[in-house]
Amino acid sequence: MLIIKDLSKKYYNKTALRKVTLNFEPGKIYGLLGPNGSGKTTLMKVVAGLHKQNSGEVLINNMELSHKTKAYVSYMPTENFLYDSFKVRDLLKFYKDMYDDFRKDYAEELLCNIDINLNYKIANLSSGQVGKVKSVLALSRDADIYMLDEPLNGVDILSRDTILDIIIRSYNENKIIIISTHLVGEIEKILDSVIFLKDGSVELLGEVEELRQSHQLSVENLYKEVYKDV
Amino acid sequence: MFKLIKYEFIKKYRLITLILITAVAFNIFLIFRGAEGSLLFLIFSPIVLYILYLVDIIKMYGDDLNKKTGYMIFMTPNSGYKIITSKLLTAVLEGLGLLFIYFLFFIANSLYIISSLGGYIGLSHVINEINSFFSGNIGYQFNIVHLFLFLLTAMVVLIAFITTVYTAITIRKSLFSEVKYGGLLSFIIFVFINWTISWLSDRFFDFLSITTYNNNFEFLIDTGRFLPDTFYMFLLPIVAFALIQIMVLAAFSGYLLEKKINL
Repeated sequence: MLIIKDLSKKYYNKTALRKVTLNFEPGKIYGLLGPNGSGKTTLMKVVAGLHKQNSGEVLINNMELSHKTKAYVSYMPTENFLYDSFKVRDLLKFYKDMYDDFRKDYAEELLCNIDINLNYKIANLSSGQVGKVKSVLALSRDADIYMLDEPLNGVDILSRDTILDIIIRSYNENKIIIISTHLVGEIEKILDSVIFLKDGSVELLGEVEELRQSHQLSVENLYKEVYKDV
Repeated sequence: MFKLIKYEFIKKYRLITLILITAVAFNIFLIFRGAEGSLLFLIFSPIVLYILYLVDIIKMYGDDLNKKTGYMIFMTPNSGYKIITSKLLTAVLEGLGLLFIYFLFFIANSLYIISSLGGYIGLSHVINEINSFFSGNIGYQFNIVHLFLFLLTAMVVLIAFITTVYTAITIRKSLFSEVKYGGLLSFIIFVFINWTISWLSDRFFDFLSITTYNNNFEFLIDTGRFLPDTFYMFLLPIVAFALIQIMVLAAFSGYLLEKKINL
């Protein structure tokens, strides 16, 4: 469903990804782990079609990246990318108009559950509320691939569980969910597989249970071990 | 396409409303100074509106490529070609809208000036004038079609210029996105594109000069005045060249947005 082959991406003063090869299977929640600058966001932006790779190939449902593959990918960037002048209600209409798979009623239900009023203006929301709205928008699409870049960033501890609940509700055997984070402890409990990125390369990857058994460490402690010299 | 254009206007309707309210307020303020104030408004408001319009439509595209809010559009399954076409059509519609609004200001202020100078203007007179205007003759053998052609030419040439600016911005965020001094290089590219267009335009009109175009041009130089027929001969080639320029540059920008973009 999502295949990445020898993907490389350079910025003018830095190599962000070095020949990354990964194969994502449906029915799994992947953790894309690594400290800042390890290449997580760049990888997601290439798959989302916001960045162009220098070399390598990305196949989504056997199609090369194009505007058509964006219909299969629901990406939540870590930055606040929402129009400030819009109300939450306007954003739902925008998503409904732009994405055939957007479930507006579902989004309204989720927003109601997390106490986000549809008449709130984006410019007036706290960073935590923006995080929640972004998560709801991304996860209310019925996409094949969800990519959430640091979904817990700026979100208070109480709301983190709510966001994790929304992620789990979006899961089914046909979906790929990729979550990038450095808050490993918070998210470890919902992950099936993890990919550790370091300086743009895959340092370690595997099933969470297998890694726990083989290293006799939790994913959080394994993270600390992998990046102890960073 | 329609949806993309719709959201462009939703994003900017507050700004446009604010500008129009300010324009109306300023017009009323100047009208209190008599016919001179009104005339002053008619002369200077199009210049200010034109500058604001130009800034707005360049910002509309620049923001989508330079700010994170651009993800809203570029994450959607719309092709690069569709995105740039929607921006250009939005620019055209916005331009036509502002032109129409200025037309309303023009009528209102003209009526005020005439009446304040002692002229009598009844409703039937205004209706007759408008009927006469739209039925054809607007004086000196020019008719409404000529006026329309002139406005069309102005609009198409403006959009051609905007397309050049859009192309330079697109090159900055695609081919030169990871290059040091990419902004400077893009500006050089912008100058180069304009120079190339100017060179091609000269060749194009040189080619036309072997036809009747040349005769009409000589007539203009000799007599210093346009004739309605020569008006077509001058403006239509300009429109044709500008349209070709828009299509080529928009297609190139669309390709870059589709294949090379780095937001």
